[in-house]
Amino acid sequence: MRDCDAYAVASKDIVFESFDGEAVVLNLANGKYFGFSDSGSRVWQALSSGVDAQALIGLAAGGSTIGAPELGHFISQLLELGLLVRSEAAAQPLPGELPAELAATSEPLTVSIHDDLADLIIVDPIHEVEEPLGWPAVKQAS
Amino acid sequence: MPRVTLETLPDYARYLVAATEATHYPATRTVRLPRLELTAHVGPGALAEALGHAFVEAEDDEAEPSAECRVFTVHPGIDGIPEPARWGDAHFTEYGFAERLAETGLRGHYFHDLDFWQVYDPQRRVGVQLMATADAFPPWEPTAPLRAFLHWEYAARGMRLTHAGTLGADGKGVLLAGAGGAGKSGTVTAGLLNGLDSVGDDYVLIDLAAGVTARPLFSTLKQDPQGFERLGLRQRLGTERPLNWQGKHTFHIADIAARPVPAALDIVALVVPHIGGGETSSIMPVSRRDAMIALAPSGIMQMPGERESGFRFFGDLTRLLPSYRLSLGTHPEEIAGTIADFLTRGVP
Repeated sequence: MRDCDAYAVASKDIVFESFDGEAVVLNLANGKYFGFSDSGSRVWQALSSGVDAQALIGLAAGGSTIGAPELGHFISQLLELGLLVRSEAAAQPLPGELPAELAATSEPLTVSIHDDLADLIIVDPIHEVEEPLGWPAVKQAS
Repeated sequence: MPRVTLETLPDYARYLVAATEATHYPATRTVRLPRLELTAHVGPGALAEALGHAFVEAEDDEAEPSAECRVFTVHPGIDGIPEPARWGDAHFTEYGFAERLAETGLRGHYFHDLDFWQVYDPQRRVGVQLMATADAFPPWEPTAPLRAFLHWEYAARGMRLTHAGTLGADGKGVLLAGAGGAGKSGTVTAGLLNGLDSVGDDYVLIDLAAGVTARPLFSTLKQDPQGFERLGLRQRLGTERPLNWQGKHTFHIADIAARPVPAALDIVALVVPHIGGGETSSIMPVSRRDAMIALAPSGIMQMPGERESGFRFFGDLTRLLPSYRLSLGTHPEEIAGTIADFLTRGVP
């Protein structure tokens, strides 16, 4: 990670709601859902608000302490999943209530992918042209 | 055959509406639905037949402000109706298609395999379903005919077609949410067979104006052959009717319900069923996050457009209700009894 790591939500197609402190994120463009553990939800909310990732290191969370490798792995996942992008904007300060909220969590930093669309793709196909096949080529459910 | 791209899509959609309205194609079916009178202009055939039996018609209710919408289901051969265009861009996504139309105040859906177009103008409440021939519609269309138009119309008014089952008693009910195979349809059928009410299985209309209210739209129920046998439906309904496109038996709420379909259910809980594997059923609290993930994905992805508004709507719905996981036992009577007890007394 850089000395000061700020991130932003990757696009306007990434929307999220929070339920009792637990976040659910949807990528509107492809219909994939993401569920976070309790500590992951707090960290997602912080990172997506532009809070400096460095400020999270060392905070108590999920019955342990957030280490740089663990946080780096979590952020890498969010980048690979297309949920976050690096931001050049000035990082936001750590919200005052966040350390206590993180300390109250019981699960490690995790994000789970919910891609239950295999059957729906058949009903409601998403088509993409593949040059060798020509048009139309229906994307098959995996 | 003309080709339509994202660039020309809004013009083509408006052209379809104008060309279809100019035909003065006669109306053949009017359906009274909650707060909506749907007039369908449709020729004889399977779609017209489906319109005749797929809906639960609403009672007159002067207290409920109603709107009127018209949907033309047309095809070449009807005077003035053009051949359906084909998609001409290199890429197509349902989301990009819907977003482009929404920019110009329209809603729409395109099913490539059949060059099947649906376009709706929510401001004028006029829709067009253009097919290559009279029977060139997707196989799932007769089960819930014109559902996309109802989705757009109700979404424009803050309500939502929701992919969920319902069971209730004495006006109170639960919303059963989950992906296909979770046990929703079997649970609804088990409940109906054992004296509970339902306002629908696959799609119900949800309104959040005063709590969470579920209203009926479609009367169709489905069961795969194993469930049909297990629930005793083969003896009750026979097997003469052809299976649907999914290989499932289809029947109607009135075929098995003890009472007429209620006009509405006040929803008191969001329930996520799953096949428990045990003899008896149980109901336990589940996090709202898990309930939302069970409810929202299929509800949003089975309907064209309105994805973000749907996500927000289902988020609001989930916050309004307590959420539970229902582990399904193996006996239909016991499952129905568990839900009836839950509705009467709350969580055991």
